[in-house]
Amino acid sequence: MAKVSQIPNLDNSPLNLRSLREQSQRELVNILKNVRGKKCLVIDPKLSGSLSLIIQTSVLMEYGVELRHLSADPLETDISKIVYLVRSQFELMKFISSQVHNDISKGLQREYHVYFVPRREVVCEKVLEEEKVHHLMTIGEYPLYMVPFDEDVISFELDCVNKEFQVDGDTSSLWHIAKAIHKLESFSGLIPNVRAKGRCSVRVADILTRMQTEEPVNSHDMGIPEINTVILLDREVDMVTPMCSQLTYEGLIDEFFHINNGSVELDASILGAQQQEGKKMKHPLNSSDKLFKETRDLNFEVVVQVLRQKATSMKEDYAEMTSTQSVSELKDFVKKLNSLPEMTRHINLAQHLTTFTSKQSFLARLNMEHTIVEAESYDICFEHIEELIHKQEPLISVLRLLILFSVTNSGLPKKHFDYLRRELLHSYGFEHIATLNNLEKAGLLRKQESKSNWLTIKRALQLVVEDTDTANPNDISYVFSGYAPLSIRLVHHAIRSGWRPMEEILRLLPGPHSETKRVSDVISLPSSTYRYESINDVADGRRSLVLVVFIGGVTFAEIAALRFLSAQEGMAYDVMVATTKMISGNSLTESYVEKLG
Amino acid sequence: MANVSVAAEWQLLINRYYRKPEIYQMRWKHIDLSRNKIACAPFGGPIAVIRDDSKIVQLYSESALRKLRIFNSAGVLLSETVWKHPGGRLIGMSWTEDQTLICIVQDGTIYRYNIHGECLDPNYSMGKECFEQNVIECVFWANGVVCLTEAGKLFCVMDFKEIKSFKLGDVGIEAEEELPHCMAVIDPQYIASGNVRVLLGIGEGIVIVDEDEVTHIEGEKVQGPVQKISVTRDGNWLACFMHDGRLVVMNMNFEALFQYQCESALPPEQMVWCAMDSVLLYWDDMLLLVGPSSEDSVRYIYDEPVFLIAECDGVRILSNTSMEFLQMVPDSTVSIFKIGSTSPASLLFDALDHFDRRSAKADENLRLIKSALPEAVEACIDAAGHEFDASRQQTLLRAASYGQAFSSNFERERIQEMSKTLRVLNAVRNPEIGIPLSIQQYKTLTAPVLIARLINAHQHLLSLRISEYLGMNQEVVIMHWACAKITASSAFQDAALLEILLDKLRLCKGISYAAVAAHADKSGRRKLAAMLVEHEPRSSKQVPLLLSIGEEDTALMKAIESGDTDLVYLVLFHIWQKRPALEFFGTIQARPLARDMFITYARCYKHEFLKDFFLSTGQLQEVAFLLWKESWERGRNPMASKGSPLHGPRIKLIEKSHNLFAETKENTFESKAAEEHAKLLRIQHELEVATKQAIFVDSSISDTIRTCIVLGNDKFASKVKTEFKVSEKRWYWLKVFALATVRNWDALEKFSREKRPPVGYRPFVEACIEADEKGEALKYIPKLADPGERAEAYARVGMAKEAADAASQAKDGELLGRLRMSFAQNTAASSLFDTLRDRLSFQGVP
Repeated sequence: MAKVSQIPNLDNSPLNLRSLREQSQRELVNILKNVRGKKCLVIDPKLSGSLSLIIQTSVLMEYGVELRHLSADPLETDISKIVYLVRSQFELMKFISSQVHNDISKGLQREYHVYFVPRREVVCEKVLEEEKVHHLMTIGEYPLYMVPFDEDVISFELDCVNKEFQVDGDTSSLWHIAKAIHKLESFSGLIPNVRAKGRCSVRVADILTRMQTEEPVNSHDMGIPEINTVILLDREVDMVTPMCSQLTYEGLIDEFFHINNGSVELDASILGAQQQEGKKMKHPLNSSDKLFKETRDLNFEVVVQVLRQKATSMKEDYAEMTSTQSVSELKDFVKKLNSLPEMTRHINLAQHLTTFTSKQSFLARLNMEHTIVEAESYDICFEHIEELIHKQEPLISVLRLLILFSVTNSGLPKKHFDYLRRELLHSYGFEHIATLNNLEKAGLLRKQESKSNWLTIKRALQLVVEDTDTANPNDISYVFSGYAPLSIRLVHHAIRSGWRPMEEILRLLPGPHSETKRVSDVISLPSSTYRYESINDVADGRRSLVLVVFIGGVTFAEIAALRFLSAQEGMAYDVMVATTKMISGNSLTESYVEKLG
Repeated sequence: MANVSVAAEWQLLINRYYRKPEIYQMRWKHIDLSRNKIACAPFGGPIAVIRDDSKIVQLYSESALRKLRIFNSAGVLLSETVWKHPGGRLIGMSWTEDQTLICIVQDGTIYRYNIHGECLDPNYSMGKECFEQNVIECVFWANGVVCLTEAGKLFCVMDFKEIKSFKLGDVGIEAEEELPHCMAVIDPQYIASGNVRVLLGIGEGIVIVDEDEVTHIEGEKVQGPVQKISVTRDGNWLACFMHDGRLVVMNMNFEALFQYQCESALPPEQMVWCAMDSVLLYWDDMLLLVGPSSEDSVRYIYDEPVFLIAECDGVRILSNTSMEFLQMVPDSTVSIFKIGSTSPASLLFDALDHFDRRSAKADENLRLIKSALPEAVEACIDAAGHEFDASRQQTLLRAASYGQAFSSNFERERIQEMSKTLRVLNAVRNPEIGIPLSIQQYKTLTAPVLIARLINAHQHLLSLRISEYLGMNQEVVIMHWACAKITASSAFQDAALLEILLDKLRLCKGISYAAVAAHADKSGRRKLAAMLVEHEPRSSKQVPLLLSIGEEDTALMKAIESGDTDLVYLVLFHIWQKRPALEFFGTIQARPLARDMFITYARCYKHEFLKDFFLSTGQLQEVAFLLWKESWERGRNPMASKGSPLHGPRIKLIEKSHNLFAETKENTFESKAAEEHAKLLRIQHELEVATKQAIFVDSSISDTIRTCIVLGNDKFASKVKTEFKVSEKRWYWLKVFALATVRNWDALEKFSREKRPPVGYRPFVEACIEADEKGEALKYIPKLADPGERAEAYARVGMAKEAADAASQAKDGELLGRLRMSFAQNTAASSLFDTLRDRLSFQGVP
């Protein structure tokens, strides 16, 4: 069976992501080589997903590695050399310390190495010092700032950028993002145009400029920069889109089954594998799977049709087969047969998905989302949400709708705000006061202070499109069956003409915006000096590249919309997406949930 | 002819020629090697000289105080200093790879000097045992030493960069007579285990000592006693001088390769390997070169004492008056200069001579070698490289260049490259610099190391020029210069010195101003350091330095500007430690990023301190949140078993939090919530006591109500409802679902009749359908007010006809379509929907 690897094939990438990945592989292998002999590699569980996209576990084994996940429990192994690979997080430091203390209490003498991803941080070492284990550690770094998820998608793998920034005022991630982009520039050349919208984005653009003065990218030996423009966009600018249910094939899979590091885990029986019941199976989802590449960004309604067509044509071929004798025809047929397992799997997956999408509750939800986005029937929406709370529907899905409601209304009238919050606390428990506090600080669920300008924005950017033809779309609104994602509309404008012509609208959205032109070796001009040049002038036939960076995460549906844009006639650019994390409305909402208890 | 005179100076040993050109006439005066202890660094390094206190010498007019003097290889004095260390006689003296002079005295103290004669702090000791036993011999290798004590114990320092002495395996020597005759060491880098290995000539045989292992090689095998041992650089071969005057060369398994009978049975004063090919022995007035078989030897007579310095490609011979270099004549040189040579290279060299004399024979020679021309050119270039004499280098290169003109397929860069190398070599061979590197030594040493040595000797200009010439990064040189300049310029004003420094530092892009500033600070020039660090563009370098020079506020500002939170933390922890809490709070309160980072950290680690911070800055609501959180931690504490009085303190904390929230107007909601929470906990506690079931505490109000109803305790449920003013709407949803959970359909029906439900009958329908009770559901579906809802409900229980009726009432085409889809399998039903839909759409046309 032609098996698609979880590690995506990057050959068709517009950027040389392959060499980027190879560098990360080498760096990891060097770390393992530096610790001679057998070693126990204890990985931060969150990292193991990233690593699975970088290197195969079998390669790790070649270097005498026994693999463990870091947890609060003591480490059970006979090996005396321990290599921890962790992100710089307090909690993980506590785990490490407790494991070391446990070893000491048992009289075990071990060699400890701690490698921080992507870099060592004073604050973590401080924790190790306070736990009195710092002196036992050899400390190093594994500079993994980004992970290629697919030909055109990079993730910085930063979990809660939005929450950390909006709620805690923690800007660590912004430095990380700038560093990652700067690192990318060292491969691809200095990016001449930087456009940013949102508080985080503008700050990242600033830090990026600083980094260029501190450690200039030498673009003399690189020729024309591969990336012409980087567009930085805060998730905060558009919290509406992620809260809507994604309706593309990939988006729906994520909404219902959750795609993790480019693969979805399902019951083996669902995928049609002959294995015992109840066994989970990982199914990689990336563009190395040709059929998936073709269907992932289509509206799910259409996917079912496409799959049906393919199956039918296969059946016809099969019928013809009995009559044909020519060897070359036979060969063609066998070639087609090779794609059969993929097809079977997708048909099974799509069928499974249909059982969810045809549920009345899902349809009701879509209906409600649409009504909220339309923003013309406040009371219906309010009552609907109230009822969801009373029915004690899952908290996340309630909050998701509530955030959508609050954001499109610029907050709720004080009476309703307090009422719904009280109903939430009564229904789900007082520990969620912290969640509510976080959402309020982040401005996602708040008291209304001024009139909402959502209607203006919606109209100006044509966010709601009537009569969307999902089968032959002519607008990005097909990804939400009638709602065009705000974020992608902004990106579209930014690519086409820069911020200047749309400043009025930008001012209605949260956060400042900036536009910088950078020339290597010269300090960049401040954002006030606007200069527009047509940037679609690449001589060698290759299309110029736009890097779109989503700070706070991006959904699959938005990526689908971007791919749709880039495939449109008259679009002069390839688009590359970088995100802090692949998100869905659920995971984004979850990042704000904090229980006191 | 010139050629003849060149070869006339060679000596033939078996089939190989040796030569020993004089490199320098020593510039020093009145140095008698025999009166002194000498340490010469390989690779043409410096020479340390000090009067040998183990010998009785006449002092003439010298002072009785001994002086340690350091010369370059040409005998130019670099530095001198008076030796007045305690600890007994100087036993061992040697240069390390980074040209630090190591001196070990009798009691095992290690003194270190740099090339400028400055004693480096601190001194080290070889350890207590060594101190008690007295060191009697030291054997050095590139970066380490093994010391032998009077008690026959061995102590080792593996690396002079990190001096730690340890004891090697015990040989078991008891009496003085048993002390080894001789000792040699194999450099750890050539031993697989990475540990040092010592060879001792003891008794009749040899003893091998490793870190913890001692191996005896018996006398029969070695045929000792061994009086002197020397090991090749790579540790593969041994030369042993036996008590009967035999020189035996053997491999590491002690199998003899050959032996040579010397005239003297007295062991030589010095014995070294000349590269890997032959062994050089020195007695009083004679040098004897032996190898690589027993047949032949070469002897050189000296009328003055000499000192042998083993190099990787030969031996340097230092005498009172000269420095010579003994080496095997390279093949290329032999092929050109050997008497009677007719090799192409020799003919080419000859052709140049004819050409210079305008003789036609030049052409004839060239014709002769035609096809072998590239090879001849290559040989001339190679030979030029091996020459110390600049004019001969020139002649050879000219010959090469002459030949190259007639040869099309030769890499032209070779001559250029060689000229470049020779220029560098000639520059450092200049007696004033005094580093007589051969080309092979230079290649082994590498250019960066050579430059590092030049810098170390404060030859900044030369090293700058060489690195520029070789296209290497000049940063190291400029950096070292800047630091040396600061050290040497204590008389300069800060501003003036800054200008001088900046002037040069600007030459090098990306140079670390912070490193120079750090040096300025270390040299006690804090103000200069502050001025320098301003110029550092990299915040990651700038901030730590600002901290170390006490500019904390600037450091904090710069760290925040950089956007690098790691730097912010660095400064934060620094200030936190140095300043009293209140002042610290003031500092960070003024800077939001620093404040927020502090809070993030403190949330995890310093709860109490964080509370102090919030209190001191008047953020009472934050304190309230912390207390509230704490109340849960109390609850989770396993000691606080449910229903125990420990809930008392928990509730107290929540009430405290309630009061704090009440202090600010903005937090009325939170205040109210905390109040309700405390109340809820009390009621839940009561419930648990009453029901004797620990299932209430920490569930939500809604869940508490549901649990009560499920348990059949309506009274309690109503009590909770009234206590918390639960709305009728919510009450209906909760009660309906709770009754459905316990499948109490009668009670449900009764409840539906109590009054007209404020939320309609939908909850009843939904609860029944979810419980899969079609019959029960049908009791309520007709009561649904909205026909659309009714249609959907009918559809969900599979009643197509009723659904269709209701849908047509609702006049909703989209709904009909959807219902048709869900009845797709049922042909009768779907055709029903089709007809209805057709009718509807027909109606829709105005």
